[in-house]
Amino acid sequence: MMTTNRKLGLYIHIPFCLSKCLYCDFLSFSGFSDEDQSRYVQSLLMELDWYRDGREKAGGITIDILDYEVDSIFIGGGTPSLISAELIEKLLNKIHENFSVDQDCEITIEANPKTIDRHKLKAYREVGINRLSIGAQSLNPGLLDFIGRVHTPEEFLKNYEEARAAGFENINVDIMFGIPGQSLEIWSDTFQRVLDLAPQHISFYGLKIEEGTPFQLMKQNNELVELSDDLDRKMYALALSKLREPKLNGQCSNYDHYELSNAAETKFHCRHNLKYWSMDEYLGIGLGAHSYINQERFSVTRDIARYQKNNASHIDWRHTNSKEDEISEFIFTGMRKIEGISFQNYEARFGEPISRRYKNQVSKLLRGGLIELTGTGMKLTLLGIDLSNYVLSEFV
Amino acid sequence: MESNQKYMRNFSIIAHIDHGKSTLADRIIETTGLVSHREMKEQYLDNMDLERERGITIKLQTTRLSYKAKDGHDYTFNLIDTPGHVDFTYEVSRSLAACEGALLIVDATQGVEAQTLANVYLALDENLEIIPVINKIDLGSARPEEVKQEIEEIIGIDASEAPLISAKEGLNIEAVLEAIVEKIPAPKGDINGKLKALIFDAYYDNYRGVVIYTRIFNGHVAKGDIVLMMNTKKKYEVTEVGVYSPGPIPVDMLMAGDVGYICASIKQVADARVGDTITMAANPTEHALPGYKKVQPMVYCGIYPSEGEKYENVKDALEKLQVNDAAFHFEPETSTALGFGYRCGFLGLLHMEIIVERLEREFDLGIITTSPSVIYKVVLNDGSIQMIQNPSNLPPLTEIDHIEEPIVKANIMIPNDYVGSIMEICQERRGVMKHMEYITSTRVVLHYEMPLNEVIYDFFDALKSKTRGYGSLDYEFLHYEKSNLVKLDILLNRDLVDAFSMIVHESKAYSRGRFVCEKLKDIIPMHQFEVPIQASVGAKVIARETVRALRKDVLAKCYGGDITRKKKLLEKQKKGKKRMRQFGSVEVPQEAFTAVLKYDDNK
Repeated sequence: MMTTNRKLGLYIHIPFCLSKCLYCDFLSFSGFSDEDQSRYVQSLLMELDWYRDGREKAGGITIDILDYEVDSIFIGGGTPSLISAELIEKLLNKIHENFSVDQDCEITIEANPKTIDRHKLKAYREVGINRLSIGAQSLNPGLLDFIGRVHTPEEFLKNYEEARAAGFENINVDIMFGIPGQSLEIWSDTFQRVLDLAPQHISFYGLKIEEGTPFQLMKQNNELVELSDDLDRKMYALALSKLREPKLNGQCSNYDHYELSNAAETKFHCRHNLKYWSMDEYLGIGLGAHSYINQERFSVTRDIARYQKNNASHIDWRHTNSKEDEISEFIFTGMRKIEGISFQNYEARFGEPISRRYKNQVSKLLRGGLIELTGTGMKLTLLGIDLSNYVLSEFV
Repeated sequence: MESNQKYMRNFSIIAHIDHGKSTLADRIIETTGLVSHREMKEQYLDNMDLERERGITIKLQTTRLSYKAKDGHDYTFNLIDTPGHVDFTYEVSRSLAACEGALLIVDATQGVEAQTLANVYLALDENLEIIPVINKIDLGSARPEEVKQEIEEIIGIDASEAPLISAKEGLNIEAVLEAIVEKIPAPKGDINGKLKALIFDAYYDNYRGVVIYTRIFNGHVAKGDIVLMMNTKKKYEVTEVGVYSPGPIPVDMLMAGDVGYICASIKQVADARVGDTITMAANPTEHALPGYKKVQPMVYCGIYPSEGEKYENVKDALEKLQVNDAAFHFEPETSTALGFGYRCGFLGLLHMEIIVERLEREFDLGIITTSPSVIYKVVLNDGSIQMIQNPSNLPPLTEIDHIEEPIVKANIMIPNDYVGSIMEICQERRGVMKHMEYITSTRVVLHYEMPLNEVIYDFFDALKSKTRGYGSLDYEFLHYEKSNLVKLDILLNRDLVDAFSMIVHESKAYSRGRFVCEKLKDIIPMHQFEVPIQASVGAKVIARETVRALRKDVLAKCYGGDITRKKKLLEKQKKGKKRMRQFGSVEVPQEAFTAVLKYDDNK
């Protein structure tokens, strides 16, 4: 067997939730039975087998998984913690059976408060899950209720402690700002209390009202007023400054703000998500999951009935990236990282200096104070972060 | 040589837009059996997509048809279609001059419209036999008897025998064909006399050069003849003569009475001007046909390549269009804001819109057009005169003695319910009412003298909007008149954008300035800094708006590696940027140029 150092991230999608949050436009549903769950996991297992067997899917995607070593697994959703630990175990066993998995593999599961307990967490540890990502979203009961979450702040705090007790040493907490009705004080309080828990990783996302969500309808009917851009940016700036504040013990915080919406202790940057931002390869398994392999992007159908049909084609979209695609994606995903992109990497990857295509754009953005040079490449300035869409659209 | 004149009928169709001219033409072609129904595109005569979309005919199409009449004889019909808009009056008049008769189509639900009337008068000037035809009688709201009466009252021709038809349903088309045979006189003219042929249209063909549509009034013409254009004095050797039925069919010879085409390796339509007379170079006729005039543009605007578009591409396209359109003029000009471009002259606003749309669609060009302008006569202190069609070229005020602007005679036909509101919009546009005429108990013609710059600004839109589409208008140039005009400038972030400058009457400067500022405020996206928008006359700022600064434009969470979705979002944003034009530090969407010209009901 030939060994190579091609690394692969595996994403597994679990599309079930206790109930759908009002802002959510992810692919997930509520109202399903235990049977539905195991049937779905059965399909996941089958999909994993297909890659093992290198069998032609009807979509025509084959990859030689022997070429790869899996160094990150991310079980996301939806609410993966909703399904039984046994099903998760089956999944991980199958992955280990079919793929070569790195000793040091980062294995994350997303969990929502109220769907986990000591036993489940213990079981996760036993099957090798070493990173837990908890969707707290807010520690304000009124806001949690308003956005349609089914848990309380207390339930989150209890679950957090249980996770620690179960031996999780790499925990991420997801929180949101820019929620209608949220004040700077409420946000500051939530952020501070999360910091006080000292998780290894914090994701802080600005709420965006997406098409087709109940929030969008409410907005249309003037039942919901979005926060002003100014307040939204103040919240973001507040988060950044809190991340830099010294900890209670007087030591400097060791959080790195390493991506627009993510901060972590130095050794705990999320390896899996970094693949998305660094144009590394990943394979998505499950409903609606996206993959990027061999400069090709493809995705699994979003139709669950079709997905669960045995031997049917699951891939319903694929696109082989042109050089132009590769370049623009490299920049607009890479620039999400606070360190930005390296010109040397760019040149090594594309065989030309960045100035060949983007000389004007780069100098215009530099002049506008939206990006800055880092010595090895370029990155967004604070202003550039606030206007990142504007900046990145220069490169697509 | 034998002439078929006795069994020949040359006619046009006169109708208001939407009254069914093209549909009737389709039915006539179909009934006479030239084109099978299956092969027919809807509205056969309108062959440009643009025309099809707008339901109006811009360029003439001519077709030879054959019809076996009830009297047992085979007749040759030459159907000469005419354009249906006020900008093309001259072209219409020349087409009519090629005929002996005309069908006047009137919508049974709407009655006679101003524009129809204008064309009827043109036909009467040419002594044409007019056959009224009442269309759309299949509609529930049809009132054929009233409409007949209206025709008799307004136009003064007998409508008692007017065929009642439905072109759409193919109803009673035969009656129209028989009326053509019976009522329209056969052409006359000596086929052995000196050649006298009227050019009533021309278009450029890549292979044959200019194809001239012609009516032979006297003599005959064949391949190899050396012909003379009597007004341009140019000589050409005829390479082909033929008829359209419906595609080109070469024939040996065209003779008096015939309608057909002539090719003579002519490079551009400007050398085969509509209205000119063709004769034999060696044996010319003494007198040219009457009615020739050189068409002059009345409306000008700047056309510039938009961001990313090549100047050469625009130039090529304009040249191609000019080859086919003698009324269209252009010359290079430079704008500080827009760079290198062209100042273009048009017969009127519709002509301009058509050319702009063709540049965008047929040639797939990205262009920016500036505010249309008329030609101002600027009299300087030293008594010299400058004709100015670009507001930016207006000399300094200190050098100007006075400015004169073109005034037109406008005839506006409306249902009487709207008289009040139309008089109001005319007055707002500095119109002076000459008189008002009740042509029937419910229909009124308002005769106004109005500055052309008001007509081209938004008058059509206002008229249509206020009369729910029932108002119609025709106008013709009257004279130049001294007027109190000023140059209105627009400043973005304190920089003057010359492409927005316009010449307006002093009384309008304030409201126009405020309107433009408000529009631009809505259309200019937020920048990283505040963008003040100012309207000024001379050094005086008369209106101001501000686009506030952009604080946030953030990419949301990337979900599960779905890069594509975010990429689409960024691409959309970039596309938006591409339509932007950089003026100093400010980015302005191209739509801004047209948006500031749009009629707004609320203003």
